[in-house]
Amino acid sequence: MLLSFVQWLQATAFFTALRGSSYVYPVIMSLHMAGIAFFGGMVLLTDMRLLGWAMRRYSIADVVAGFRVPKRVGILIVATCGILMFGSKAEEYYYNAFFRTKLILLALACVHALVFSASVYDRAAEMDRAPKIPGNAKLAAALSLLIWASIACVGRGIGYIEPPLDKIHAQVHTVKQASLAALEGRHH
Amino acid sequence: MFIENPLNSSALAFPILECCHILGFAVSIGTIAVVDFSLLGVGMRKQSPAQLAKDTWLWTLAGLVVMLFSGLLMFSSDPDMYYLNWPFLIKMAFFVSAVVFNYTIHRKATSSDTPPPNGKLVACVSIVLWLGVIFGGIFIGFVYPGLKLG
Repeated sequence: MLLSFVQWLQATAFFTALRGSSYVYPVIMSLHMAGIAFFGGMVLLTDMRLLGWAMRRYSIADVVAGFRVPKRVGILIVATCGILMFGSKAEEYYYNAFFRTKLILLALACVHALVFSASVYDRAAEMDRAPKIPGNAKLAAALSLLIWASIACVGRGIGYIEPPLDKIHAQVHTVKQASLAALEGRHH
Repeated sequence: MFIENPLNSSALAFPILECCHILGFAVSIGTIAVVDFSLLGVGMRKQSPAQLAKDTWLWTLAGLVVMLFSGLLMFSSDPDMYYLNWPFLIKMAFFVSAVVFNYTIHRKATSSDTPPPNGKLVACVSIVLWLGVIFGGIFIGFVYPGLKLG
């Protein structure tokens, strides 16, 4: 069922056009990367503040509140670009072990948010009044850094798995094919 | 006489370097972007952009060092390819400009608690230069001669 969904998704006119364009895809990927830098920088600074290693001129409440909206904008950019890339080659991603791992890690990030939002991030003002940053806040920060760094690395891994071409229905436009086509073009 | 680059004898070396490169640029460009957006009046507004820069410069520098050295090692794996790859050359032009800009004009704009009148322009130039670096980096793998992916 999932397989037929991804096949249907990439066969839609929009994603077929996206897949066929040789420059739109890397532009989306670049925006995905820019979003990662923007979002990742703020995740790092927020978590390092909780660990007591950065942003010491700011209270924890200021850091959490100041980055809340920009962080949401950042993850929205990253996710939108990610979904566009996924949709254009949905079937290929479906078979990709790194992509599957990335989805599991993203689910973990959601669990992290559910677990620690109320107990840590929403209690910033309380932590500012406490003499020491509590252990569960540091745990939340360390886990967040670990999860997001893993997501970035696993994301890079996606590009290293060759799609199982015999199984894939859509015309897959890989870098290798593009390079070969360019080579052919030069020889003729 | 050819000396084999040990990086090319391991299939894992290049992807691991790429991961370091991505984490390094997220830290460096991300922290610079935070300061830029504060110059534009977005995000952290409790303190001046100068105070924010004082809180982030070490992370920016650490990210830049990781990004630079992982990048140099990746370059060493196939220098001829990179030399002939036009997005790489554009990326390098943007990178050198961005680093020089960051440690001259950008630093000056974030050195006093009252941001200069051209603070917003400085922030925009900084964002555009770093975006150029990111776009160049991604396009390296999408043109011929390109990376031997997979």
